[in-house]
Formats: sequence, C-alpha cells, structure tokens
Amino acid sequence: MSSMDLIRSGYIKELLESGKRLESRGIDEFRRIVIKCNTLGNAEGSAQVDVGNTKVLAGVKMVVEEPHSDTPDEGNFIVSAELLPVASAEYDVGPPSPSAIELARVIDRGIRAGNCIDLKSLSIDKESVWSVYVDLYVLNYDGNLFDAGTLAVMSALAHTRIPKFENEEIVHTADDKPLKIENTVVSTTFCKVGDKIILDPNGAEESAMSTRLTIATDGLHIRAMQKGLSGSFSIDEINNLVDLSFSKYEELKKQINATLDK
Amino acid sequence: MSHANKPELIINGKRTDGRDFEELRPLKVEAGILKNAAGSAYLEWGNNKVLAAVYGPREVVPKHLTDSSKAIVKCRYSMAPFSSLSEHGRSGPNRRAMEISKVTKEVFENVIMLNEYPGSEIDIFVEILQGDGGTRSAGITAAAVALAIAGIAIRDLVYAVSAAKIGENMIIDPNMIEDNYSDADMPVAVSPKNNEILLLQMDGGYTKEELKRSFEMVFKAGKTITEIQKESIRKLYEGVSK
Amino acid sequence: MKRIILPGELIFNGVKRLNHTYVSNSKTYAAIVGMYDEEHGTLIPLEGVWLPNIGENVVGVVASERNSVYKVMLTDFVEGLIILDRYSREHFSVGGVVRATISEVERKNRVILERYGVLKGGILLNIKPVKIPRVIGRGDTMIKQLTDLTGSQIVVGRNGLVWINRGNVDLAISALIKIENEAHTSGLTERIKQMLETNR
Repeated sequence: MSSMDLIRSGYIKELLESGKRLESRGIDEFRRIVIKCNTLGNAEGSAQVDVGNTKVLAGVKMVVEEPHSDTPDEGNFIVSAELLPVASAEYDVGPPSPSAIELARVIDRGIRAGNCIDLKSLSIDKESVWSVYVDLYVLNYDGNLFDAGTLAVMSALAHTRIPKFENEEIVHTADDKPLKIENTVVSTTFCKVGDKIILDPNGAEESAMSTRLTIATDGLHIRAMQKGLSGSFSIDEINNLVDLSFSKYEELKKQINATLDK
Repeated sequence: MSHANKPELIINGKRTDGRDFEELRPLKVEAGILKNAAGSAYLEWGNNKVLAAVYGPREVVPKHLTDSSKAIVKCRYSMAPFSSLSEHGRSGPNRRAMEISKVTKEVFENVIMLNEYPGSEIDIFVEILQGDGGTRSAGITAAAVALAIAGIAIRDLVYAVSAAKIGENMIIDPNMIEDNYSDADMPVAVSPKNNEILLLQMDGGYTKEELKRSFEMVFKAGKTITEIQKESIRKLYEGVSK
Repeated sequence: MKRIILPGELIFNGVKRLNHTYVSNSKTYAAIVGMYDEEHGTLIPLEGVWLPNIGENVVGVVASERNSVYKVMLTDFVEGLIILDRYSREHFSVGGVVRATISEVERKNRVILERYGVLKGGILLNIKPVKIPRVIGRGDTMIKQLTDLTGSQIVVGRNGLVWINRGNVDLAISALIKIENEAHTSGLTERIKQMLETNR
C-alpha cells in the first residue's frame, strides 16, 4: 500500500461523534496483540510484537563496558529506536528522526523509572559492567508505536539471558542466567480526535489526532508520561486517562507473562 | 582472516554443521509479510533472518535525480544492531553495507524493466535481522520475491548464493565460520532464465577449474533456491480458480 | 486451463504481444505474477503497477495548484492534471478528493483529466489496482451489489482509489478488502453477497 492510504479525518471524527470506530472497536479497546519472544538467535533477548497491523521487533545485546563515571557500580540500559523505511512510505533513510528519538526515550524512561532492571546487579568489577542495549525496529507502521514498543522492549528484557564474561571475552553458554527483572512496566497511548479520546489509535486515527498522551505504569505507580503534538488536555481528561491506564495494566502484563510460560 | 586459530572446518567429509559440501542450509521464504510496503518477503536461510521490502514506483526524491526516460533504483542493505552474536552494531551504514547496497542495486537495475516506469524511483530495502554468513545472497534472494509481489515488471526472478573453498574442498553456501576461514569466497547472483551472472565478487584463490566447478555448484543450488522462491509466491494464490 | 505464471517463465514459444510480457529470442516471457489462460491466450496480472489508459475513470487527491492547473495524485507513480478554463465553475482545494476521466495520456506517469467533480466527505480506501476489475465485476455486478446492500455511495477509480460515503461504511470497507484478498478465486460474487446480507 502507498502513502495514499488515506482515510479522511472528517470521517473518523464523524464516527467518533456517535462513539464508534472503524472495525467496530471500542474507544477503550486495544487491537489484537501478539507477542513472540526469542525470535532472534544472535540477540541475548528479543521479542516481536504486533498490535493490529503495527509490527515492531526489539533485540537486546549485552555488552561489557566501563561504567559511567557518575554511576561506577551500576550497569547501563540504553534504548534506541529506528523507524525503518520498510515500515511506511513516510519514513526516510537516514539518521533517527525526532519521532524515532522521542519513541526511544519515552520507552526508556518508563522502564528505567520503574526500576525494571536492577542496574547494580550488572556490575562485574571496578572496570567492567554489563550494558543492556535494546534496539527497537519498527517493521510496519499502523499507529501507536509507543505501546507496541514498550511491550516489545519489556518482553525482550524478560527473556534476556546474560552471557558469561571470562578472560575478557563474552561467552554464550546453555545455562546463561536470565536478566533479573524486578518490575513490569506497560504503557497505554491515547489520542484526541475532535473532542473524543480513544485508546490505541491506528495509523488512520493518528492522522486525524490533534494530540496524544502516553502513560506508562507498573500497576501501582505512574512511571512515565509523554504528551505529543500541539493540542491540549484538561486535568480532568488526564486523570481519567490515568485511571484507564491502571485498569489496562493487568491485561497487558498478562500478555507478557504468557510468553514466559512457554 | 588469520588462520592461526583456524578451527577444523571439515571432519570426516562433512562440514561443521553436518552438511555435505554441496548442501544448502535450510531455506524458508514467506512472501508479502509487511502491509505497507508495495512488496515484501521474509527469509530464513540457516541462521540468517532477512527482511526485504520494496516501495515504488514513486516520485523521485530529491527531484534532480529524476530520469524522464526510466526508473531509478535505490537500494539499502542494513544490518540490525542485534544481528550479530559477537557484538552490538552501531547505527548508521558502514562501508561494507554501502558496498553491498551498491552491488545489490546493480543486480536489480538489470532485471527491472526500468523503461516501464519513467520518471520514478524504485526503492529496495534489505534488513538483516540475524546474520550468519551469506547475508548479501539472502538479501538478494528475498528482494527478488518482494519485487515480484510488488507487481513491478521484471525479466526474471533472480537468486544469489555463495560458493567457497576450504583447503581442496569446494563448498556451497558457507555459514559465517566457514566464510571467515575459507580459502576463497564467492557470492554470485544469477538470472536463472539464461544463467546470466548479475553479481560476482570473489576473494581468495581459485584455479580456473575450481572456478568452473564453483559455478556448476551455484547453478545446481539455484534450482532449489528458485523453486522455494516460486513456491512462496504461488502460496499467496492458493484457491486459484481453474 | 489457467495456471499461475511467474516472472521469467515462458508463456509462448513465439512472439505474442501481450501486456506484462516481454519478448526475448523470439519467445514471450512473463514480466509479472499472473494467471495465464492457455485457451484464450490471456495473461491476467495478480500483481501489477497501474498504467493509465484513455477513458478510464479515476479517483485522486489534489496535491497542488498553480495558475489554474491542479495536480492530482492518482497513485505514487501517476499524476493527473486538471486544467481549468475560464468557464469552469469547479473549485478544488488541496487535499480534496476528485473523480475524473482520463482524456489524454501525456506520458506513462502523467495524464490529463476531464469530466471532473469534487467528492465531499467520505473515506478513501487504497485497493491494489489489479483487483479493481473484480471490485467492479462483469457488467458491474459486484459494485452494484456492494452499493445496494451497504446503502453507500461508492466511486471506484481504476487507479485503485475507492471513495465511500454514507451507508454502512465499515461493511463496505470489509467487503472491499475481502474482494482484494480473494480476487483470484471463483464464487466470490456469491460469497460477498452472503457476507453483505448477513451483516446488514
């Protein structure tokens, strides 16, 4: 399909006036979510997530590095994202765009603030720590990269195994220990179309939105938030969305946990 | 590659992964896996995992590159940061990737009927999600399927595979270890209709006879590869009316 | 007897001037994925890039305007021009949807449009152009049952853009996507009819 896969924003707004969305979706309903883990054999952890037709792939590489001078006894956690040109006619070849950078940093913040990884446990010795590099590849864009991305990164981390570091070399063995995950963070992204707010916008809905709010929680606390685009939210709207976000936590966490039982 | 720590690559007439010299790694192709791209294909070849996608024909960017008599072809071969076992790749194209992008583009400039789409641009993207030797061949093999699915007029469904030499032994489709320690390594892309060679690179040492033998092995392997590519496309049209 | 034919495969051991084929050494080969009907000597593309022809009805989006000439995007590759004369009462806005007929093919990717009109509201769906004949159906059978059973206004462009307004838009979209996915199968008209009747 080409860049002309337009759905007139007017129509989306019209539908929402009567509380409806395309494909009879509820305004607080997620599209079908599919998570597949350990799909990449050369990565220490990986997960592919489909939210409707949005398809993303997260890969984790464990690297031994010197610790940062301001956190000498802690490992590192770095999230990067790429909006691959294969994902949409709108994505260009080149260095990460502001949207790609925002995507990576927002996902990073939620997981870091949630203390999902015990960074102190990644310390090897005075000169070496493990750095957890997570790269998020967007393979097909159809809206809501934030929630798909957070699910993919969180799932990939949950399946990550730490190689052994022996004689200055990284060695992969069959009994590598899993990365210790202390907390699970998920996110819910809402967008405003006209004066209606909907959860998990697809690509067509995103092209009609005036503003967007992503809320990352761990069930008890709000861990990160990011408002995007130039529209505005009222305090009441935000409080409602926070409630809604918490109410979605269990269902999303269950999806991640289901992959661990396999 | 230094041969100081060269592992035993051939043991009792078999290769390290148990293959015969002329045996291909398992190859699976899934066509049309991405919704937005005009054409796409996902390929698993041994431990290689490759995604190819095509966009176009579409407007040329930047405009001054437009050729009013034919389409221009752009190609980007890229390895994901998590594609290698031994390291975390940094972002951005390196010289190796740029060279592969160029020779891949040249394969498709040959088979795409460029005159059908004057003033346009056809973009081919190859993303290596997991690499284990022979990724450029895997990329070309996948991109050929993606182009066919995109409905872009092409003269033939091309494939690519590498031939290599270990000691006296000629082998086909080396994995990464074999690739690193081989005595010659030769990726080849072929238009099977007339066995025309569209990509040829080589380094190492071959006698004339060894070269001939390598091409024979490539064409033989090509029959298997082509059939797998074709099956992946035919599969999309199951339930065809008679 | 029909069979699926792939690029590079031999269609005919001689020269046959067919769309989507090429001749090499006096033999005719397929250039795209298609269905070849040996009996009738026809090749129907299963995938293909739309190339415009005079008289085709299209739907497009106005991309820009300069000196009363409007550039209308018909596909990523083909643009149409609407050249307004002094007497034209039509007013087009950039980003608006128009329907028109191709009056002239200037080159492969540029045409001149006539008999144009604005399409207000509604939604635009992008269907693969090779599937559009199936959306219309022989003697308009498919498109007629679509509009009848959804109550929607549907304008089909040969370039793949389909405009839908009013009625049961969701159902119309689902039906169109199903036609696109199953265009190559038989009994489709009946299956779509059943789907539309069940979900009214």
